[in-house]
Amino acid sequence: MDTIFVSIFIILAGGTAALFLSRRFILMQRVVIGTTALGCAAGLCYALTRLFGNTAVATATWAWLHIFELSFTVDSVSLFFLIPVFLIPPLVLVYSLDYLTEGKKNLRIAINYFLTTLLVVSMVMVVTAANMITFALAWEIMSIASFFLVIFDYQDKEKRKAGYLYLIFVQGGAMFLFAAFAIIYQHTGSFDFAAVSTMPDNQKLLVFILALIAFGSKAGLFPLHIWMSGSYSSAPGHLPALMSGVMSKMGIYGILRIYLLLDQPSPIFANIVLICGILTGLTGVVYALVRQNIKKLLAYSSMENIGIILIGLGIGMLGAGENNQAMAFFGFAGALLHVFNHSVFKSLLFMGAAAVEQQTGTNSIENLGGLLKKMPITGKTFLVGSTAISGLPPFAGFVSEFLIYYGAFQGVDTHRLSFILAIFAIISLALIGGLAAAVFTKVAGLAFLGAARTDKVEQAQEVGFSMKLVMILLAGACLFIGLVPAPFIRTAFAGIRDITFIAGYDSQAFLATATQLSQTTLLFVCIVLLVALLRQFLYLNKRIRQAGTWGCGFTKPTVRIQYTGASYADEMVGFFSWLTPVTRLYSGITRIFPRRATWHMQSEDVALMNYERVLVRPLYNLVYKLRWIQHGNIQLYIAYIIAAMIVLLVFVL
Amino acid sequence: MDSVLSFCCALLIAPLFPAVIQKVKAWFGGKQGPPLLINYYTLLKLLQKGSVYSTSTSFVFRLGPIISAATGLMLLLFFPFAGATPLFSFHGDVIILFYLMGLGRFFTILAALDTASPFEGMGAAREAFFSSLAEPTVFTILFLFFKISGSLSFAGFFSSPTPVALTGGYGAAVLLAAAALYIVMLTENSRVPVDDPATHLELTMIHEVMILDHSGPDLALIETGAWCKLLFYTSFLASIIWFPRFDSCLVNAVLFYGVVALIAVSIGVVESITARYKMNLVPKFIMNAFALVFFVIILTMEFAQ
Repeated sequence: MDTIFVSIFIILAGGTAALFLSRRFILMQRVVIGTTALGCAAGLCYALTRLFGNTAVATATWAWLHIFELSFTVDSVSLFFLIPVFLIPPLVLVYSLDYLTEGKKNLRIAINYFLTTLLVVSMVMVVTAANMITFALAWEIMSIASFFLVIFDYQDKEKRKAGYLYLIFVQGGAMFLFAAFAIIYQHTGSFDFAAVSTMPDNQKLLVFILALIAFGSKAGLFPLHIWMSGSYSSAPGHLPALMSGVMSKMGIYGILRIYLLLDQPSPIFANIVLICGILTGLTGVVYALVRQNIKKLLAYSSMENIGIILIGLGIGMLGAGENNQAMAFFGFAGALLHVFNHSVFKSLLFMGAAAVEQQTGTNSIENLGGLLKKMPITGKTFLVGSTAISGLPPFAGFVSEFLIYYGAFQGVDTHRLSFILAIFAIISLALIGGLAAAVFTKVAGLAFLGAARTDKVEQAQEVGFSMKLVMILLAGACLFIGLVPAPFIRTAFAGIRDITFIAGYDSQAFLATATQLSQTTLLFVCIVLLVALLRQFLYLNKRIRQAGTWGCGFTKPTVRIQYTGASYADEMVGFFSWLTPVTRLYSGITRIFPRRATWHMQSEDVALMNYERVLVRPLYNLVYKLRWIQHGNIQLYIAYIIAAMIVLLVFVL
Repeated sequence: MDSVLSFCCALLIAPLFPAVIQKVKAWFGGKQGPPLLINYYTLLKLLQKGSVYSTSTSFVFRLGPIISAATGLMLLLFFPFAGATPLFSFHGDVIILFYLMGLGRFFTILAALDTASPFEGMGAAREAFFSSLAEPTVFTILFLFFKISGSLSFAGFFSSPTPVALTGGYGAAVLLAAAALYIVMLTENSRVPVDDPATHLELTMIHEVMILDHSGPDLALIETGAWCKLLFYTSFLASIIWFPRFDSCLVNAVLFYGVVALIAVSIGVVESITARYKMNLVPKFIMNAFALVFFVIILTMEFAQ
């Protein structure tokens, strides 16, 4: 355990040093990156060695404020979650080397670095917390730090608004978390996580639902997701990689942790999680489809992936509830592996989006195009990330989705509701996969391929070295995990070994399948190479010409006639209009020689619409009626305080 | 040895079946139609030509055909044609193969978008949409077949003690699943009533418009991939409908490809007697397949326990 504290200390020390070094910008960046890399490397080594060691469990306790105990513990699940927590931040910071450059905002960038390290440390603490006090403390630090990261550009009203929305959701979520903890404390009389399982069974469901809302608001569960698109597109470009790639997984960790702590494999938990997963995944992918802003699109795609992870967890819980060990094993393992994989390719994609924004000043698909030729490394790595996140072989996403499918297929022997849910899980995974491919062909195909739509895009240049390096590393990781999945599958298996429901499951048979899976992907890559060679051979001594694209005989094409993101998604949006109502405003053509015509299309988020209608309006009306309480008369305010104290005294006496 | 022979045989015979479809359509139209070997001639012709590339394209445009052809070949490597053991097979191969087909589609779409042509974008959008609707149907069918045969590989579907077959114990369920698979086949292979491979207007095409700008050997690779895919789907159906169990491989193969040819004929008949649907009806048509197979799943819920 000590290694973890040492690494926490190193990371925080670097972050604090940044505050004092803001005048010496380059030095500051190097110090922060160096210390974070060192601390994270130490932590990563610890997590991996313990994960594969004889026993994963370790504990440590500190007294805090004389009354409370800060206690920490690790088991295989938390060790697994530590891997992305320690792996992604150094990469993000290296990326920031060329992304955040010296200028007017030096101090603000220094504070940003400090908060980033604070975020990393708080995530480590969330994952290792062993009692409610520690967990709540870490959770709050994480939320506050990330809130300040989101409002980096606080002068911009839109970005500030996105930050406030985020704050409302994380703090609202925390409220539910405290409610859940309060119920637990009421029944067990202890803050210790170990005591949670002793609470009466009839209260466990309530605690689980409260915790699901709390953690779901962090992970971006439907309908608690509406803060995501705003805050991911407001934070400085490298941070969404950290927030979506790693921080949203803390929500997943919380859901899994509370489920394990409650220690009751009732299928009802599984049903809730699975249905939430399916809903979140589907709405996420449909909303991603209708966004034209790459960062917002990626934010919704995070939601989709959270859905996939929850489907995996749900399958695992269903297996635990049905006493179907194989199903539980592959469900949990697939979910964990997808947590890791998603942190890799989603970071990559957010970095690509930030690179595009840095070079072109826009993130709107409608204004980009042809970037692959201008920014070859960014383009190619983005293409790899797109393929990986669509769950296609031979890249990372496929491996974890394969595990989840494999688990869901084991549900073939279950009955009634479990059977129906298993088949729904498969159907929605397939549908989400198909639509995700549509989403990412849209963003990769329209932003990076084709022809540039504006002059600014035409003049875009490749980004700096450190950014390229990190993107290449992550893209390489996507390919490597896809081609050689066995070690990663093994790590996921090691990650779930402390889950009691699946203790003793023999995974050897599957590892043979994993080998064959890897051989198949390698075989495919070989065939691709062979066909490519054959193609080279076929083109020997052939006449190859360049010409314009076939335009149906149209002699004056412009780049604006290219298919746009909106038109690409149009038919699909029509099909899913019950999920995303679309408003179209068209000026129409009224004259024989038409003048300016306008066309505006906007797709709504049903969650956002209904919050407005169900929650915000009534609340606003209520508060408006109570305005007389706040009248500005200071004497009366003091009277309130005295009245409140008297009422409290009555309770105490 | 059998496996290698079966693979080579499948690869060689694949271009024949689209020609069968064309021939049937020609007969219905009262024409003689192209010779049955037309696709072999086309292949030879394409291989001799050079290519014209659009100035807006990048390496992705050249990668598309390679991936299409490679996924087509992968299908042939894993499918047990005429009951012969395929070259490769493992528990779970169905999932990866359908995902590889997804990869082929992904790169075909990207290659189409790389041309910066509005027509090809239109085709790409439709392809992405319709195939994502077909995907759930496919996986529900796989789940059903897994329930019947206890296996997750193509070879296992047909060689398990309880094989997936119309003549087996689950005949009625398999019949509906086969009907759903037929619809998926029409969708995935761009046949009428989803897509019309013989249409002449870019605005109404799906698959054909996506490959408008490909030429020469690149086009040949795309066509090869498409032929392999058609052979795969027709063979999948053929294996379900009728499963040859003679001792002689040769007899098996002849009978098997006979059935495949009959399915190709049936596609030709369908294409001749139906018009393609309006675009907004296509999703409903595909969802019909899903409804069918989901109904079967509900029916089989309490089976075999």
